[in-house]
Amino acid sequence: MAASTQALMEPILEARGVQKWYPNGYHALRGVDLSVQRGEVVVIMGPSGSGKSTFIRTFNALEDFQQGSITIDGIAINEDTRNIETIRREVGMVFQQFNLFPHLSVLDNLTLAPVLVRKRPKAEVEREALALLERVGIAEQAHKFPGQLSGGQQQRVAIARSLCMEPRLMLFDEPTSALDPEMVQEVLEVMQELAAEGMTMVVVTHEVRFARQVASRVVLMAEGQVVEMAPPEQFFTRPAHPRTQQFLQQIG
Amino acid sequence: MAISPSRWQRLRAELFGSRVDGLVSIALIAAMAAIATGLIKWALFQAQWAVIQANSTLFAVGRYPIEQQWRLWWLTALLAAATGLSWGLLRALPRADRSAEPWPFNDRLAVLLVLALALVVPAWLRLNLEIQGRWWGIALVLVALRWLAGRLGPQLPQPLRRLLPLIWPLLYLVGMVLISGGLGLMAVAPSDFGGLLLTLLEASFAILLCFPLGLLLALGRRSELPLLRWGAVLYIEFIRGAPLITLLFLGQNILGFLLPGGLAPDRVWRAAWVLTFFAAAYVAEALRSGLTAVPRGQLEAAQSLGLSMPQALIRVVLPQALRVALPAVVGDFITLLQDTTLLSLIGLLDLLGIARTVMANPAFLGKNAEVYLVLAVLFWCCCAALGLGSRALETRLNPNPQPAPAR
Repeated sequence: MAASTQALMEPILEARGVQKWYPNGYHALRGVDLSVQRGEVVVIMGPSGSGKSTFIRTFNALEDFQQGSITIDGIAINEDTRNIETIRREVGMVFQQFNLFPHLSVLDNLTLAPVLVRKRPKAEVEREALALLERVGIAEQAHKFPGQLSGGQQQRVAIARSLCMEPRLMLFDEPTSALDPEMVQEVLEVMQELAAEGMTMVVVTHEVRFARQVASRVVLMAEGQVVEMAPPEQFFTRPAHPRTQQFLQQIG
Repeated sequence: MAISPSRWQRLRAELFGSRVDGLVSIALIAAMAAIATGLIKWALFQAQWAVIQANSTLFAVGRYPIEQQWRLWWLTALLAAATGLSWGLLRALPRADRSAEPWPFNDRLAVLLVLALALVVPAWLRLNLEIQGRWWGIALVLVALRWLAGRLGPQLPQPLRRLLPLIWPLLYLVGMVLISGGLGLMAVAPSDFGGLLLTLLEASFAILLCFPLGLLLALGRRSELPLLRWGAVLYIEFIRGAPLITLLFLGQNILGFLLPGGLAPDRVWRAAWVLTFFAAAYVAEALRSGLTAVPRGQLEAAQSLGLSMPQALIRVVLPQALRVALPAVVGDFITLLQDTTLLSLIGLLDLLGIARTVMANPAFLGKNAEVYLVLAVLFWCCCAALGLGSRALETRLNPNPQPAPAR
């Protein structure tokens, strides 16, 4: 009992002093710390080139890093491929470009990983997948192909695809940046509902309204470092750091 | 079939849109008509087809022992059966999610063509009636099985449907045994294979094996392990930089040392391996272009869902890459088929080799035109079949069935 309580208290994501150099020598992350508790929604903002996308892509080892440590739900990210695959099973990711599998139907996009990776029976996964599609509002598109859907619909499928693996942490890498303006809202609504259900989320986005309404904390990154971290109210109204003030003016 | 007036109008607009267009069209049509009539006149009245008629067996199977040829008849019948079965099933079981027609033409026309060929060609070759009858029987088996499979296909249980494509690899193994002997059948020396049999044997062997080899090379060339990458690059560039004929000669001399004993015991199989290794380099480049066409995000998405690298490659990246690379790969296969004619230069009796021996026979002196024309038509048929197959496969793999563009 005590042990499980302790496990719940432990942060689900713990990044310490993460440094990354790209092969061309560019110093992309310069010692970044972040700790995320279960059920939290952390929004990361920052100008382009600030390293925010690179940073969340290190959480499921799509990017490597040279110094520091990242621990996901007690498992440290290291060279061990099996370790990395275990972490990726537990961490969902939604990409800017959706990255749905164009050769598979919407339903098969959802069921591929649970059947292949979790070795679950296909019929059971399909039932769940349909329920998930219902939840994101596109059950009637289950048998279409990604190329036949609008951008907003594709991104909702991508969210459902990640959820189908029953992740404990969801990463969103600029999920609305590639969408036409009229489709941004439908995706943000799905994310908002997800947050309300208690999903732990780390979101890289420029959507100020989403950050204000949904985030537990907002982080500003610039030049590969965390400049400011604060609850949204404080972040947007009384930012402590001049760099944050400048950034908010630029996007405001 | 009635031709709709709109088609005529369209044709007229395309061919005679302006005065210059009209003149060019008339000149071209006249030239084509002149060439066609010349060719037909020559084929009907001048050419002496006795050279083909007298040597048809030689062209088909070379010096394959006559008393063992029943094995090849059985193989042909089995091939026809498998073709009919697959054809009927493909028609009866279109993929629910793909709307495109797999064939460019109405395939009843193709059935009629098969029957007509089976009636006309053996008769034209002056085969004796019993052998003509065998060809009729084989054509009937094909058509009957196509019809039967079309009827019964939808009622087949799902697991059985999945197993059915396996008849092809199975048939290939059975065919190998039937052709070269073993398992109680008398062994036939590979040096006795010849003609169309040898050409198809070498080509199919090389096509089947160069594909997986090319795939490994393409993956190796994109690998992050430097040794693997350099090895693949070195191999591909070396093979692509050397003419096939030199490799064939080289292979005859050194392959015996390179391959473990028993894999390349004689010239026929050594040549088959050289063809395989040669084509693999080209297939690898075609596949690499397909792999490059798949966005990096696809692999990342697959990995972020927990798929291992092999799973991500097999289930996500390769299906997309193969569809892109398919036309180029089939192009390589067609080239490979035609390259088998080089085997005649290293002393094998493939179609061209047989043709050369036939033309050297004093009884048929000066009949080169007839022989080469038949050869050209035979090769064209094989290549057209590959091309049609590739187009059908492409439409079947296309994930975005588009409504036919309005023309």
